[in-house]
Amino acid sequence: MASDNLAFALGEWHPPGSSRSVTSGLVEAGDRLVASDETGAELAGGSLSTIDISARVGRVPRRVTFPDGSLFETDDNEAIDRFLSRKGRAGAGIVHRLERFHPRLIAFVAATILLGTLIYRYALPALVEVAVVVTPPILPRIMSATTLETMDRTLLGESKLDEARRGRIVDGFRRIASVSAAGRVAYTLNFREGGPIGPNAFALPDGTLILTDELVELAGDDTEMIVGVLAHEIGHVEHKHSLRQIYRAAGVAALIMLIAGDIGSGAEDVLVEGGGLLALSYSRAAEAEADRHSVELMMKAGLDPTAIARFFELLEAKLDDHSETSIFSTHPGTPERHKAILDLIAELRKG
Amino acid sequence: MVLAEPLPAQSVGQASFGRAAPGDFHRLSFTGNGSEYFGIWIVNILLTIITLGIYSAWAKVRRNRYFYGNTVLLGRGFEYHARGGQILIGRLIVFAYLILYNVLLTFAPLAGIALVLLFLCFVPWLVARGLRFSARVTSYRNVRFDFVGRAGGAFLAFIIGPILAALTLGILAPLASRWTYRYIGSNLRYGQRVFSTDPSVGAIYKTWGISAAILVLGLLIIGFIAFLNIALVSTAMENPDFLPGAQLSLAVLAVLGYVLILSIFGVAALVYRAGVRNVAWSATTFDGRHRLLSDLSRLRYTWIAISNFVVTLVTIGLMRPWAAVRMARYVNEHTGVRFDGNVGEIFSAIAQEGSAVGAEFMDIEGFDFGF
Repeated sequence: MASDNLAFALGEWHPPGSSRSVTSGLVEAGDRLVASDETGAELAGGSLSTIDISARVGRVPRRVTFPDGSLFETDDNEAIDRFLSRKGRAGAGIVHRLERFHPRLIAFVAATILLGTLIYRYALPALVEVAVVVTPPILPRIMSATTLETMDRTLLGESKLDEARRGRIVDGFRRIASVSAAGRVAYTLNFREGGPIGPNAFALPDGTLILTDELVELAGDDTEMIVGVLAHEIGHVEHKHSLRQIYRAAGVAALIMLIAGDIGSGAEDVLVEGGGLLALSYSRAAEAEADRHSVELMMKAGLDPTAIARFFELLEAKLDDHSETSIFSTHPGTPERHKAILDLIAELRKG
Repeated sequence: MVLAEPLPAQSVGQASFGRAAPGDFHRLSFTGNGSEYFGIWIVNILLTIITLGIYSAWAKVRRNRYFYGNTVLLGRGFEYHARGGQILIGRLIVFAYLILYNVLLTFAPLAGIALVLLFLCFVPWLVARGLRFSARVTSYRNVRFDFVGRAGGAFLAFIIGPILAALTLGILAPLASRWTYRYIGSNLRYGQRVFSTDPSVGAIYKTWGISAAILVLGLLIIGFIAFLNIALVSTAMENPDFLPGAQLSLAVLAVLGYVLILSIFGVAALVYRAGVRNVAWSATTFDGRHRLLSDLSRLRYTWIAISNFVVTLVTIGLMRPWAAVRMARYVNEHTGVRFDGNVGEIFSAIAQEGSAVGAEFMDIEGFDFGF
């Protein structure tokens, strides 16, 4: 090495596109930067503006790429940083300085958790609303058709209800459907035998309602009660609850993948599932909303708004369901819902 | 290609799970550490949030530069050359496509559906391009990797294979694994030199058999437990006067069963993944004469993956950097190459085809297909 041109960093030099390596040193020569071999002969060089020096990441070796495509590689990150700051350039770079292991990282962790929570609480619901608004109407139709098809094949059977009973329910259903915001044409009622899903009623996002024979049997002669339950299901459709649920789950999954990037495939799966569990608490809010909708529709149609409350009484009595709301339940505790409905009716009658 | 010629190390990977390999294999190592990566990781997350996701492209570059750079063979690390801008452009194109698709679906549903079908036809091509991008932005000793696989091979390996495996309930999964490894392993290039893989289906079936046994045994045990409790469950369903809170305990049971089944599938998948990797890598040659080796212990690999996962979950993700580094270190230390001849001479002779470097700047990456 020539004594007047001392190398400030030692490393390996590769000719362009070759894996052959030469022990080399980096030398500052005026405004040029030169890679020289052990005898001091120049291997490659160029002015600083034509040379690409890779950013610093941990202790990963720095790459110095010369205009001729040759490469100098060194472990001596500090020397490169000193050289760069001598030249008035940012040495290690802001990002690397932030990344260094330092108590400051605790503040970053706190900030990340705080921002993450804020996104979950405020940004995600807002995005879900936007997504619901821009969803093409054909999507719920496709979703509903395939869901009904699958359920018919696997779970549901043909209804065995007699015509008269069916007629009474359909009459009541028409009354409430015609006072709903979307009108009567938006909803179709299907009778099915519940099989393994038992007494149940549910709504698909395109306005297809399904009522099981078992629920009708459970209600006995109280047709109005069944109509109250159907009004509740119409509430789910009107508030687009299932669509919101899907977008929420998708949004949580996308957030996890985008933000964490590298969280491992197993952890990703479970976090997404955990997001689903959290979505259940959202579904409790949705149930309460649908309950309120039932009360409002029944009052508009001139029917007894307490019908759905009677249904909860029935559940309590027949199934002895006094369960409290818990993290595993999709529906709020029955007694709690019952009370909320009666409170609402009292309030609406007052107003 | 000298593939047909029997090579002495042919059966090394299958015979030596968990033990040091015989012969003069040069093993990889991992020089990164958890605390250093923690800083990179948390800053990546924070900046990604603050920039509304835009930084995620640069975050990926820094993460990969850290992991590639610390993956060391013969004292030299690998390098990752992709730039944040390239990755961001790819992601923006995907984003624009999704918006276009939604707009079309609203105003012209048929055109929207056509767009989906069009996209599905392009998937194999995109996979092949993604693999090529990943290869071309990776270098070792100043020489880039390259990938020459075409859409047809990707279609077989990534679409037909998984469908076939799923339709046969996993019985043909080894065939799918073989196609995937052969597609990746035989289309990979380093300089002008060729990688070549031809794992035998028989060897993959051997390792598959263990996973299948774990799965069947695990499900039988769960089935047995469920059978013992069937009386309890059926009373709960049929008898309306059943204890209060029955619904809750049923929900807890369902969640428990779900977790159990999930973990059995997880263990079987991890054991299979480690086994197939051993078989496929150990059946790989570079330049027709240098042998690759993988000798992961299936038990240890599964343990590391599962304990990593639990630790990450319990620490709400904060130990994830430590876990990632721990896994990288284990996998690298059980991966090696045996060079036929003088290592210095071999590497002096390897130079790169001109095309691979320049093309990098025209390539973009939108889809993350692991490489």
